Formats: sequence, C-alpha cells, structure tokens
Amino acid sequence: MQKIITISIIMLLCMILFFTSCKKDYGNLNNATVESFLKDASQSELNNLVSGTESGMRNVLNLYLDDIGSIGREGYHFSGSEPRYVTDLLGASNATLSGSNFYIVNPWAARYRVIKNCNVLIQAATNSTHITAAQKSGYIGFARTIKAYQLLMNLNLTDSNGIRIDVSDPDHLGPIVNYSDGLTSIASLLDSAKADFSNASIAFTLAGFNNFSDAAGLVKFNRAIAARVSVYQQKWQGALDNLSGSFFGLNTGFNVGVYHVFGTGSGDQLNPMFIPQNQTGEVRLAHPSYAADIEAGDDRINKATLRNAAASLSGLSSNRDVWVYTSATAPIPVIRNEELILIYAEANIQLNNLNEGVKAINVIRNGHGLADYSGAVTQSALITEMLKQRRYSLFFEGHRWIDMRRYNLLNTLPLDRPGDDVWTEFPLPVTEQ
Amino acid sequence: MRQRLIFVTGWLFIIIIPVSLLAQNKTVTGQVTERNNLPVVGATIAVKNSTRAIVSDANGKFKLSIPDNAVLIISAAGYKTQTINTEATTDFQVKLQEDVSKLDEVVVTGLSTSIKRRNLANAVATISAKELDATSPAQTFDAALEGKIPGAYINANSGAPGGGISVKLRGVTSVYGNTQPLYVVDGVFVDNTSTSAGLNVVTSALANGATTSNQDNPSSRIADLRAEDIENIEILKGASAAAVYGSKAAGGVVIITTKRGKAGKTNITFSQDIGFIKASKLLGVRALTADRAASLSRDSATSAALRQQFTDAQSKGQIYDYEKELYGNTGFARNTFLGVSGGSDNTTVYFSVALKAEGGIVKRTGYNNTSIRLNVDHRVNDNIKIGISTNYINSSADRGLFGNDNAGVTTGIALSSTPSFAQLHPDANGNYPNDPFAASNPLQTVALMRNNESVNRFITGANLEVILQKNSTSTTKFIGRGGFDFYNLQTSVLFPGTLQFQAVNKGTSIQGFTKNLSTNYILSLVNTFTPSDKLSLITSGGITQETGDYNNLLNIATQIIAGQSNVDQAGALNATQLRTKFLNGGIFIQEEANLIDAITLTAGVRFDRSSNNGDVGKYYTYPKAGISWNLTNMGILKGGFFENIKLRAAYGQANNVPAYGSKFTSMVVSNITGFPGLIVNTQEGHANIKPERQTEFETGLDFSILKGRLGFELTYYNKNIDDFLMLTNSPASSGYSTKWLNAGNLRNRGVELGMNARPIQSKNITWNTSVNFWTNRSLVTKFIIPPVPQGSFGFVLGSFQIQQGKSATQILGLDGTGGVSKLGDAEPKFQMNTYNEITFFNKLSLRFLLHWKYGGQNVNLTSLENDFGGTSPDYDKVTNKLGVPDAVYRLMQIGSDAHEFVQSSSYLRLREIGLYYTFTKLPVSYIKSIQVGVSFNNYVTITKYHSYDPEVSNFGTGFSSGIDVDPYPASKRANFHVSFDF
Repeated sequence: MQKIITISIIMLLCMILFFTSCKKDYGNLNNATVESFLKDASQSELNNLVSGTESGMRNVLNLYLDDIGSIGREGYHFSGSEPRYVTDLLGASNATLSGSNFYIVNPWAARYRVIKNCNVLIQAATNSTHITAAQKSGYIGFARTIKAYQLLMNLNLTDSNGIRIDVSDPDHLGPIVNYSDGLTSIASLLDSAKADFSNASIAFTLAGFNNFSDAAGLVKFNRAIAARVSVYQQKWQGALDNLSGSFFGLNTGFNVGVYHVFGTGSGDQLNPMFIPQNQTGEVRLAHPSYAADIEAGDDRINKATLRNAAASLSGLSSNRDVWVYTSATAPIPVIRNEELILIYAEANIQLNNLNEGVKAINVIRNGHGLADYSGAVTQSALITEMLKQRRYSLFFEGHRWIDMRRYNLLNTLPLDRPGDDVWTEFPLPVTEQ
Repeated sequence: MRQRLIFVTGWLFIIIIPVSLLAQNKTVTGQVTERNNLPVVGATIAVKNSTRAIVSDANGKFKLSIPDNAVLIISAAGYKTQTINTEATTDFQVKLQEDVSKLDEVVVTGLSTSIKRRNLANAVATISAKELDATSPAQTFDAALEGKIPGAYINANSGAPGGGISVKLRGVTSVYGNTQPLYVVDGVFVDNTSTSAGLNVVTSALANGATTSNQDNPSSRIADLRAEDIENIEILKGASAAAVYGSKAAGGVVIITTKRGKAGKTNITFSQDIGFIKASKLLGVRALTADRAASLSRDSATSAALRQQFTDAQSKGQIYDYEKELYGNTGFARNTFLGVSGGSDNTTVYFSVALKAEGGIVKRTGYNNTSIRLNVDHRVNDNIKIGISTNYINSSADRGLFGNDNAGVTTGIALSSTPSFAQLHPDANGNYPNDPFAASNPLQTVALMRNNESVNRFITGANLEVILQKNSTSTTKFIGRGGFDFYNLQTSVLFPGTLQFQAVNKGTSIQGFTKNLSTNYILSLVNTFTPSDKLSLITSGGITQETGDYNNLLNIATQIIAGQSNVDQAGALNATQLRTKFLNGGIFIQEEANLIDAITLTAGVRFDRSSNNGDVGKYYTYPKAGISWNLTNMGILKGGFFENIKLRAAYGQANNVPAYGSKFTSMVVSNITGFPGLIVNTQEGHANIKPERQTEFETGLDFSILKGRLGFELTYYNKNIDDFLMLTNSPASSGYSTKWLNAGNLRNRGVELGMNARPIQSKNITWNTSVNFWTNRSLVTKFIIPPVPQGSFGFVLGSFQIQQGKSATQILGLDGTGGVSKLGDAEPKFQMNTYNEITFFNKLSLRFLLHWKYGGQNVNLTSLENDFGGTSPDYDKVTNKLGVPDAVYRLMQIGSDAHEFVQSSSYLRLREIGLYYTFTKLPVSYIKSIQVGVSFNNYVTITKYHSYDPEVSNFGTGFSSGIDVDPYPASKRANFHVSFDF
C-alpha cells in the first residue's frame, strides 16, 4: 500500500512538473497600448496620434449637431427607431432631458476621448527623444488647441452645468467648473497653445486644415477659435483682437477655414450628417420656420430643399430636407470665415461701432444674393439682424441654440406642439454627477 | 509541449503492461428482464475492478468470460443497479427493478470520478436522451434544454433560425463577465462564443460607428451540437458541484455524454421527421380608416394626401397585412437520422449521420445542420481502455435582419411604421418601390438581403483509462482525457445597392471569417482503496490545461458592384481583426470517502492560473467539500415507509477569469483621408484585474417512499460571488467610457424542490411524472462605484441598475412622479415544470413538458415602436383616463413614466408534447420495431405579455436579457416522426 501511494505521488509530481511549467502572457494581440506610446514614441507614432485626434473629432458629430439643431428649432431628426429625437430633445409633453441618454452621453464622451488622446500626445511628445524641441512644441500646441476646442463643444451642451477641465489622471479627475470658469480655462489653453506655436516646427500632416497646416496657419486657426470663445465671454474687444490673428477677412471667401473631412478609405468615416434628399424613415428636416422667415432671394434657401412629399412624425411635419451636407464625403466645418465675419459684426455692434457692423452684415447679405441692410441702425436692431444672418449662414453647423441662449432669446423659439419645451442646457451625464 | 505528452504516454505504457496480463477462465451467461419479464435491451454487465463489460442483446441476453470469483455489476438506465456474485453458478436470471427516484443513476462528481445519486452531496440535474429529444425535438440543441433544468433561467434571444439561447444557472453569476455555463462534451470543453456578423454597420444599433455590437443577434455556437447523439446531460449548477472545473465553472457546467457503441448485435436506427414551423403569435395590425390614415400627419397637405392614398388603396383592394406577409411564412422542416451501434467485446462503435433542413417563418431564412459522429471504444486488455469521440458538423443559418437599430432598416422597425395602405410590392419587373413610411421597404429587404452564418466544425475527444495497479483492496488508474474543438465560421452579410436604405452606401457586403481552436486535457490518477465493506476511499489528483485561440476577420465592403458580394468587388473596403488567446492551467486533488455505504465525504482543492488574469503567474485556490448522510443505509430508519432518506451538504468555490484584453488600454485605428490614425480606446485597461470568485453552499434532503415510487429532492443554496467582474461606466470625462472592475459582491439564494413519481403502475398503463419548482433571489451586497443605469436604453424606457442592497436584475425607470423607482426585475419569482410520460400497453406513449415561469419583467419596446409608428393593433382603443387613443396615451408617458414599457413576462407554456406508437410485431424479421409519432413544440403559451414572445433578448446572452426590440418572432412547430430499428 505504501508503495502504491509513493508511486502515485511521484507520478503526480512528474505530471505537474512536465505540464504546468509554462506560464503564458500573450500581451495585447490586437492593438498598440497607451503605455507603449508613453515610453519613447517615434515621430511616426506621434503622427498617428495627431491623425487619430483629427479623425476622432468627427466621432458622434451628428448627435452634437442634432442636439443643437433640434433644441434650437433649426430642424427635426425623424427616426423610425429612435423616438427620443422628437420627444426628449423637443420636450414633448412631460419628457425631459436625461443624463443617462445617448444625446448627451455619446457626444460628451466622444469629445473627452479626443481630449484624452491629446493628453497622451502631449505626454508622448514630452517623453520622446526622437524629435526636436521645436517639433515638440508643434505637437503640444496642436494638442492644446484641439483640447480647448473639444472642451468648448461640451460646454456648449451643458452650459451652466459646467465641464471638467483637469482630466489628465482618470483615477483623480479634477472638479466640474462652472460656465464662466470653463470659458476662462479654454481661453487660457488656447493662449498657451499659441505660445507653443511661436517657436514650433510642424512635423505632422493634417487632413482638413487646408492652408492652415503649418505653424503660422495653426495660429490662425487657434485665434479663430479664440475669437468664438471671446464672443461667448462677451469680451468684444478681445474678439476683434483674436480675429486679427486669425484667417478672418471681409473679402476672403466665406468657406475659407478648417474642416472635418470624410472619406471612404479603410478605417475612415463617412459624413454622418449626410442623408440623401427625399428619404423616408430616417430623415433630417428643416424646421418650417426656416423657409417661412427667410427673405426673398436669399440663396440660403438651398440649404433646405423642398421634398417630393412632406414627412411627418409624432405631430411634427416639414416639407424641406436639411441639405447642408450634400454628399457622404462632404466636409463639416470646424470654423470658417463666414462665422468670423459674423463675429466681426457682432463685436463691432456690441462696441457700438455700428457702421462697421453694418458693413460686415452687408458682406454676408450681398454674398447670399440680398441687398444691403436697410433697417434701423441701432444696436438692438443690428443684433437682431446679426442673429438672423447667423441663423441662415451657420444653419446646422451647431450655433443657433447657443446664439439664442447667449441673448436670452430661447423663449422666442417656436413651439410646435402644446407641451413642448426649449431646454437651456443638457444635464451632465450620470457618470459625472 | 507535444513531445512531452508523447513521452509521458509512452512511459505510462511501459509501467502498465506488466500488471495488465490477467487470466480469464470462466464464461457466464444470463438474461436481464424487467418487472413484467420483458427483456431489458442494452443493460451493461460489467466486471468489478476491470474494464471488461458487455451489454445485453435484443432478448436481454448476455455472455461474458470472467475471472474466477469475479463480481458482476448489472446496470441499465432507469433501473436500479444489481451486484451479483459469480461463485455459485454460471447462468443468471437478473430481474431489474425500476429506479423511479433515480437513486442509482451515476453522476460525475470529479474530473475523473463519479458517484451514484444515492450518495451524492449535491443536487445535480440530469436530462436523459428521452427527456432531451424524444418528446418533441427542438431545432437546435440549446433550444432542447428549455424548461428542463430545475434551477436554471433559460431564455431564447429571439426566434431566429439557428438558436441563440441564454442559460443562467442559479441566478446571475456575473454582471459583465461570462454568465453562461461551460459545456463539456465527452471531456472536451466546447466553445460557445457568439460571433457577430457585423450587422451594426447597417443597423447602427450601437450608435458609435462600431462594426459589431452585442445587438447583432448571433447564434450561440453550442447550437451546433445534435441532440440525437446525446445519451445524457448532467448539470452542475454551482461551485459546490463544479469547483473541480475551477476557473471556467462559475456559470456552472453542463456535462454532455454522447452515445457509445454497445457490444453485441449491431443495432441500426433510422428516423425521419417532417415538420412545419409557424409564428407562435402575430400581434395584428391597426385597422385603418380614411380619418385615421389622415391623422398620421399633422401637416394639412400631407394629411390630405394620406387620406387620398388610403381611399385609393382601399378602392383597389390594396390594403395589406404586412405583418402576415413578413412573418406568416410556414417553414418546412425535415430531419433525417441514421445511427449505428455495435461491436465486439473489445471494440465498440457508434456512428451517426444526421441531416436537418428547416425553413423559417420569414422567407429566405432557415437552418441546416449536417453532423457525422464516430465514437469508438477499444479495450486493449483488461487494464487499458481507449475511447475516441469524433464529430464533424456543418451548420448554416440564415437569420434575417432583426432587432434594435438606429437606421430604420431592420424588418421589425420598418414594419412598425408601415401602415396597411402603403404599397410595398414589386412591379412587373421585380423592382420594389421605396417605403414612404420607413427608411427601408421590409419586403424588399427580406427578398434581397442575406445574413448567413455557416460553420465547419470538428470536435474530437480521447479518453484513456489505464489500470496501473490492482489487488483485492486497491485499484489505481490513470485517466487521461482531452480533445480539441476547432471551427471555421463564415458570416456572410449582403445588402445589395438596390435596397432602399443603401442609397448612401450603394450596397454593403460584410464577410467575416473566424477560426477558433480550443483544446483541453485532464491527466489524473485515481486510487480506489476498499479495505473493507464498510469503507472505501477514492483519491484522485491531476493536472488540467485549457487553451483558446480565436481569430476573427471582418471585411466590410461598400459601393459594391451590382450582383457581386466578394469584398474586392467594391468601391470601398474596411477591415477589422480581433484575436483572443488564453491558457489556463490547473492542479487538483480530491478525496472521497464512503463509510458503510451511508456516509460519503468529499474534499478537494484546485489551484488555477490564467493568462487573462492581471497576474498571470498567480495560482488561485478553489476548495470544495461535501457530505451526504444516508439515514436508511445507515440503519437509523428501517426500510418501510421510507425507501431512502439522505441528508446532504456541499461547499465549493469556483471562478470566472476576466475577459481577454481587460488588462490593456488599447489604441484603436481611426484613419483620416489616408493618414493612419490612432485614438485611445473607449475601454480603459485594468492591469490588476482579478478573477471573480464564487462560493457556494448547498444543503438538501432527498427521500423516497412507497418502494421508491415517489421521490423528493429538496435543496437550498447560497451562492456568493465576490469581486464580480463588471464593465463599469467610467466618468466619460476621463476619456474612457468603460473599465473592467472587480466591482463588488453579489449573492444568490434559492430553493429547488423536485418530485419524481409513478402514480400509475399497472400491467397496461404506466405514468411517470416529475414536477420541479425552483426560485432564486439575488442581492448586491457590495458595490464600490456609484450606480448608473445600464444594459438597456436608460430610465426613460426602463433600465437595469446594479445597486448595493438591491436585486442584481432590478429594472428601474421613471415612475411618473418625477422620480426613478424600481418597476420590475428580470428574475422570475419562481419557475415550475412537469415532465410526464404515460405508456399504454408498452406500445403507445404520450409525453409532455409543461413549463411555468411566474413573475419577472421585460422591457417591451416592440409595442412602443408600433405605437410610435402608428401601427399598433390597439392604437385606437380608448381605455385611459384622458380619453385619447391608447397609443397616444402611452406615447405621452415617454419621458415621465416608464411603467408602460416594463411588463410582466410570466408565461405558462406547453413546451413539448408528443404521442408515439411502437410496432414490434412486424411481418419482416429484419426490422425489430417501427415507431411513429406526432409532436408539437411551443404550441400553447398563456401569457399577458404584449409582444411576440416573453422570451426575448435584444442584447444576446449576457446579463441584460429580456429587452424586447422587434426580434425575429418566436415560432412553434409540429412534427411527424417515423423511426425504424433494425
């Protein structure tokens, strides 16, 4: 008996020795990891992060534009499968906005994901030994500019509910800051990025930045965003100063600017805002007031083309498609000169340089087939006119709701059904509350 | 590695051969019969302490050469085992007694040991071949389990052909870790991965641009198995029974034993089934009038146009019931099976071929399965036995396009907004018009699309048993088991450019190629030491290893050339690849002691490590222990009223390893105009992720009375899951949306009551019945992060939320008073089933299975979609307090009250019923018997649930079942059977 037990134990031990000696760690078979970038990234790895950042800025952009477009009553998104576009966003009957729903959770997360990528880029560039100091500044300036822009987009949604600025350590996130502190942080981030660019050399290529891909061009883009932030801050002189550093020009083409671009290449994206005309089921329609309020002869009516048949859903109806993005690879503007001209008008009107304001407004009006402004040259009349031009010039580019909020005019937006509401802001996503 | 295996095997043989030469010097004969003196066919006559065994022939007779003074053990499924001493005589008449309370059923308790139910410390559920497949065969193996496992919550994801079923044993065992049991077929760990075909590309169900999502409704790979080949299934429901399976056992273990060849005259079975498949239930469509049609739009011009369209359609007789057109197809099903069993004393063979082809309730959907199995057992000598099981499977499922979407393209979503006066039929040239009421024309989609999963799969297992040593008191065996499961899965999805919703992409072809190899082995030594009649000790120990290697390549081509589906025939091509790989290793030892055949003590421990853990080198320890105390065998209670009483208790731990890749924070590809880009993944890695650990204690009382004609099994269990794995929602401002965490602890407690009885036992009528009752309650005992809604579509519509002190499966939603309250729970209050078999004159057999699920809620968004699209059959009823149409009232609740969407999914279902008649007196002698029968599946369901079927899961087999978003409707089937035994 003793012998049997001994033999058994010996055999068992042999088996254990023979078969269990290998310990395996397969690593990540599918992707690079963040850690690998932080060690000592090469220039091509840093450029991957730059392109990933530019690419990621496009994620969930359609929801951002639908959020602002729907609440700002620019239009409706009818979806056979998603009622919340016309219930929650429009405040149908008792519906309210919820912090657990896709319309805030998804765009909010997409923007902070890009911010995370920018933070990885900053850290990777800082730790890299393969690039020059000037190139390092270029990467960091780009990352900071984009971070500021992405923060601004989230602040546009949550408004007085605020945003989180310090998000570098996922386990120890900074506090939620209020609207004005948020804007201050964004402005100073843009300023530090501008300083970065002053001695920078650009070692990366960008897709949608056209002529603004070098250090000088990136500064112009940076200042254009800063000008937008200034008007949100009601710093009118600051806005004019920033415009002068940007690509603003009263005689420059309206469409000069920086864009999100799309393509059919592998791993690329199509324009998520593109829906062909006269579709049914899944459609994006101009609010009936868009055509009702437009001046005769305004070529911007072409942004809302007539349908073969009106589309209706849940007591809403429209006979015009939103036709701003006319193909699956059409670009979506980040910021373009037409907005800068309108910022120029706004800042001047606010500073009581009314003639300069009228001049800028006429550039816009003439550019769209309208005669010069003929209304009263008073600050309040010009503000109304400026907001109207913004409404039509920047249709479905993510501005109307914010503009009406800035001027406390949300109560003037049309309500289509009894019980509808116009929201002033989105709640923070539940994970942030 | 492989060299080592060969080396060790050879080395073992050298040690073994000397002990294996033992003389046989006596031949015994006999006959095995049952209570009415009818022969028992296929009873096993085994020589104790030997690999020598034979089965009785068609007349119940056997002949076997044995050593002197050998002891014979005669057993047969459903009968009590008898032991016979062979000293006195050489011809035996063995009369077996029926084992109604299943006390003599042999149940696997270790990786290489088994025990009789009368001494078992756990409540192990078993399903016999008859219960599994002989009442009314289901389409797939997983569907055949439904309603048959006490303690399980089994739920079909949808009615789509090819299966897809969630099995949760004793409550949810994990939140986002694996909740499904491990399937072991003849010792081979079988893969049950669900692989998405990339439907999210067109449905955008997960609206972040991902190519795949858990809403793509793939089938479960376990559905490939054929129920016809299965002899027996054992279900280890929790860690107390399954601890020896270590790191894969947290969801329980389903041990499947396939049929083996039997020595003696070759037995051939040929059977042919034909059947018809129809929708279980259609919801109906809204009866429209000109006024109602006009009210579909608020715009006066459109409203007038709609009115005109309706009256035009009505006058032309073009009002259609599109629900019926889409879901009203009758699928024809045929199933052919050929089984051959036979062999000599030394070698036995089981061979089967099974062919199945079934249509669906939606045109151009269906399921095909071809399976070939060869099981060979060979006895090298009295001490060495080898068994090989091989199975080749080719299956193909056309599953259609169903479920949630955000693009208006799935059949149900398109249907939900299409009124009866829409004109969707093709013109004379076969061109379909666009559906003006939806983003897709569902008739066109069904007619032109393809969503096929096809699988080629090999499952091969080997089993080597070697008696290394034996004497009168001790036997030592080496048992080696292992095998591999390899499959190639091709998913082929095609949406031609002519489809209404392909206006942008101009045709989409998604071709997926998946290869998976799983291997495992268990090498063990088992010593049985029996110093006296009063004591036996079984000591076992060994090592185990499991590996998995999964590789999925998904190509998404758009702008495809008309009529082509190859991915290169396209204007744009995107590809994604996903690989996972793991290696788990374990060491186990177990001791079982049996005292005076009345007290059984079991103790064991297993050490496991896994390449998926944060610390790959660390061994985690999983102990188990059990005791069963048989009061009648002990002599405390004399036989009489009680035939048998047993008290039992068992304890064990098991775990669930983290999902592959939960350790890493990946950078994922995001390109822009040809520039390769990388962006941080939305999932943050957790370098120190640990397995979740389950600790289960169960105790019970089993007793049988009336000479075993009535048996009861009562069980209580308490199962704690510590450090449960959860993909938690991070504050998104961190840049990450999710992170795997060991997020807390949860507990499941439950009761299982079972009864087996034979209420009628006369010469001409026998009625066997079993009734089971089971219930489970879960509680989250610790949760380290703030609770957030998850697993559904938010509080507006009803959502799950893990929360300390609450049920793990609670459903919360807006409660109509401005707050969020609990509106339901996915967990049923209790379930019951009863399986019955009534036999008349040993010829006519009526069998049925009734299943009652009481309580539990679903989130029903199918009805909401119909309301929203203006097509609900009860749209215009007015039963609400506001006096508006009910559908309008229900829609008004959105955003303030989710009660409307969280609905009870209780049901009472006649799952299976079959009537069979066996002819034994036949004019030709070469046919032994012919059986004919008729059967029905899921023909009667009593439920108040307001959608196609209370069994539904838009999110597949994970944690959040019961979310109902326009699934492939459930079906019922009628079958006719004929089967010949040669």
